[in-house]
Amino acid sequence: MYKLTGVTKLYQKGRHTVRAVAGLDLVIDDGEWLAVQGKTGHGKSTLLNLLGGLDRPTEGTVELNGTNLGTLRETQLTRGRAESIGFVFQTFNLIPTLSAAENVETALIPLRTPAAHRRSQIAAALDLVGLADRATHLPSEMSGGQQQRVAIARALVKQPSVILADEPTGNLDEDTRDDIIGLLERLWRERGLTLVLVTHDTSVARRAQRVAVMNNGRLTIHSLPAVSD
Amino acid sequence: MFFVTYLRRELRRRMRQAIFIALGLAVGVGLVVTVAAASAGVKKAQSGVLSSLYGVGTNVTVTGAPPGPPASGQTRQKPLRLGPNGMEICTSNGTCTSAAGKTVDNAISQYSGISESKVAEVARLHDVAAVAGGITLTVSTVTFGSSASGPPLSSSSLTLDGVNTGRLSLGPLSTASLTSGHSFTAADADSGVAVVDSGYATSSSLRVGSVLTIDQVNFAVIGIVRQAQASSPPDVYIPLARAQAMPVFPSSLAHEVNTIYVSAASSADISAVTTAIERLLPASTVTSQASLASEVTGSVTSAAKLANDLGKWLAVLVLIAAFAVASLLTMAAVARRVTEFGTLKAIGWRTRRIVAQVLGESLVMGIAGAAVGVGLGFAGAAIIARVAPELSGVVSGNTGPAASQPAGGPGPVNGGPGGSGSHTVSVPLHPSVTVGVIVLAVLLAVAGGLLAGSFASWRIARLRPADALSRVA
Repeated sequence: MYKLTGVTKLYQKGRHTVRAVAGLDLVIDDGEWLAVQGKTGHGKSTLLNLLGGLDRPTEGTVELNGTNLGTLRETQLTRGRAESIGFVFQTFNLIPTLSAAENVETALIPLRTPAAHRRSQIAAALDLVGLADRATHLPSEMSGGQQQRVAIARALVKQPSVILADEPTGNLDEDTRDDIIGLLERLWRERGLTLVLVTHDTSVARRAQRVAVMNNGRLTIHSLPAVSD
Repeated sequence: MFFVTYLRRELRRRMRQAIFIALGLAVGVGLVVTVAAASAGVKKAQSGVLSSLYGVGTNVTVTGAPPGPPASGQTRQKPLRLGPNGMEICTSNGTCTSAAGKTVDNAISQYSGISESKVAEVARLHDVAAVAGGITLTVSTVTFGSSASGPPLSSSSLTLDGVNTGRLSLGPLSTASLTSGHSFTAADADSGVAVVDSGYATSSSLRVGSVLTIDQVNFAVIGIVRQAQASSPPDVYIPLARAQAMPVFPSSLAHEVNTIYVSAASSADISAVTTAIERLLPASTVTSQASLASEVTGSVTSAAKLANDLGKWLAVLVLIAAFAVASLLTMAAVARRVTEFGTLKAIGWRTRRIVAQVLGESLVMGIAGAAVGVGLGFAGAAIIARVAPELSGVVSGNTGPAASQPAGGPGPVNGGPGGSGSHTVSVPLHPSVTVGVIVLAVLLAVAGGLLAGSFASWRIARLRPADALSRVA
C-alpha cells in the first residue's frame, strides 16, 4: 500500500531549518495496523501528513498503491484524499454548527454522491459507530467520545482504504479511550482497512500489529502481536 | 442542499458578527442612497427653478430690452393724480376724471416689444427647431370706493401670459398639467378665453366657466392648470393676440411680443443659436438654459454643492470604511475557522468549494446589508424631506421672462419694477430614491460583501491543510 523511500521533510522556522523527518524508509502493507509513537515534535504528525498527501516530502518519495504522491497535482491529491483516505484527529475537528449527520455528510460532498444515497450512507456510518440516535445532535451536545465517534463515522462513510488517526484518544478519558480504540480495531478487522495511528499511549500502540517509534525524525519499527479486546 | 444548510448554520453561529457586517454595509449603502436621493432632489429643484423661468422644451429665451425712461409726457403707469376732490385718473390727452367707484387695471411690461417679424426671422435661423412669441405682463388692479379722497378699497396684481396657442409646447404653459376644463387650441388664437393657474383660481374663486375681467375685457375661463410646485407660474394665460390688444404701459405691444421661446434642433446647437439670436437682436437679452443655470444662486446652489461635494465624499468614505470593516471581520472569521477549512481540505474538499461557501456567506451579508441600506436610504431621504428647509434659487434680474413676476405674491419676487433686481424662486427639496439608485445600492452592498469574501477566499486558497491542522495538534 504505502512505500516511503528516503523521505526527508524540512521546515523553515524563522532562521532555523527543522528536520521533521530524516531519510525515512517505510513500507505499510494493505490492511496493516501501524502505530506510530514518539515524543512531541519528533515528526509523528509530519509523517501522517506525508501519508495523507497533506504535505510533500522535501526529499524522497511517498508512494500509495504505486503512485508517487509528490508528483501529483494538488487537485489530484485532494481527490485521492476524498476517495481513499479517512482522517481522525485528536481534537475531532467537527464543524461546530453542523449536526452529527451533517458532519458525516461533509466527507461525501466532494464525491458528489446523490442526496438519497448520501442519507443511507450517513445513517449506516452513524449506526456503525453506535450514534444512530444522535444524528441531529450538534457536537456541543455530545461528549468527547461521541464526538470522536462522529469523526470516525466521517472518516469511514466514504469507505476509504486507509485511516490515518492522529492521537484519536489524546483528549479522552481512559474508558472512552478503550471504547474508541476498540471501535477502530473492530472496523479495521471487519473492513480490512489500513490503519496508521499516531499515539503517545503505549497501551494503545500495543494493540497495533507494528509499532514505529519516531525519534528526531528517524523511525524504528517494532513488530508486535495484535491484541484483541 | 448542503451548501445552504452549512451557510445558514454558519451565519446563525456568527449572528452578531454577520449583523455587524451587514449593518456596516447598510450604513454605507444607506448614506449613498440618501446622498443620491438628496442630490436628485436638489437637481429636481434646480430644474424646477429653470423650468419656472423657461418652460419645458425651451432651450433659449429672448426677452426685449428693459424699457428706457418714459418719453416726455408719458409715465410708466396710468397717471393717477390727487385732484381737489381726491384721486383722479388722467388719460394721455390730459383729461382727468374722479377715480371714485372705479377699478383701475394697469398692465406693465418689463420688457420692450420685439416685432413679430423679428420672431419670424428667429424662426428662420439655422438650427432653430421651433419658436413661440409670448407676452408676459404684470397687471395691478386698484379699486376705489365711492369717495376718491379715501384710500383704495383694494389692490391686487396678477401675472399674465400671452400664449401662442399654435405653439403650446414652448413657454410656461408647456409645464402645466390640466386639472379641469381644457387648454387652448389653435382656434383660440383670438378668443376671449383664459386658462388659469390653480393657485390663482382658488384665491380668486374661479373655475371653468367663470368670467375673468382684465382691464375691462372679459375672458371666459376654459381650463385650470397646475404647475410644478417648484415653479412660479403665471396666474392667467390668455391668447397672445388678446395680450397684444391690451393697453400696456409704457407702450403698446400690438403686433409685438416681449418674450421669444426658442427650441434648438439639438442640444449641441444651443450655443450657435444663442449667438445667432444675439446678433439678430442685439438689444435683447438672450438666455440659454446653461447660462441661466450658472446664474442661479442661493440655497439651492449651496445644497447642490453640499450634496455633490461633502455628501458624495462622505458617502464614499463611509462606504470604504464599511468595506474595510466587512473585510477585516470576514478575514478574522476565516482566521478563526482555519482548522475547519484545513479539515475540509484534508477530507477532500476542493479550495473552490470552500471559497464558494465563504463567498456565499459574504454574499448573503451583502444582500442583507443592501436591503437594510435601501431602507435606511429611504428613511434618510424622508428625514431630509421633513427637516430640510425650502431652498431658494436666485436669478439675477432681466434673466428670463418670469423675472416680471410681481412683488409680494407667493413664489417669485422681483427686485423692482425695472427688473434690475434679483428674482427668487422658492423650491421645496424632495429627495427621490430612484430605481437606478436602489440597483446601485444593492450592487455596492453585494460588491462590499464579495470584496470581504474575496480577501477571505485569497487566504483560504493559500491555506495548506497541514499548516491549518498543525495549529490544533
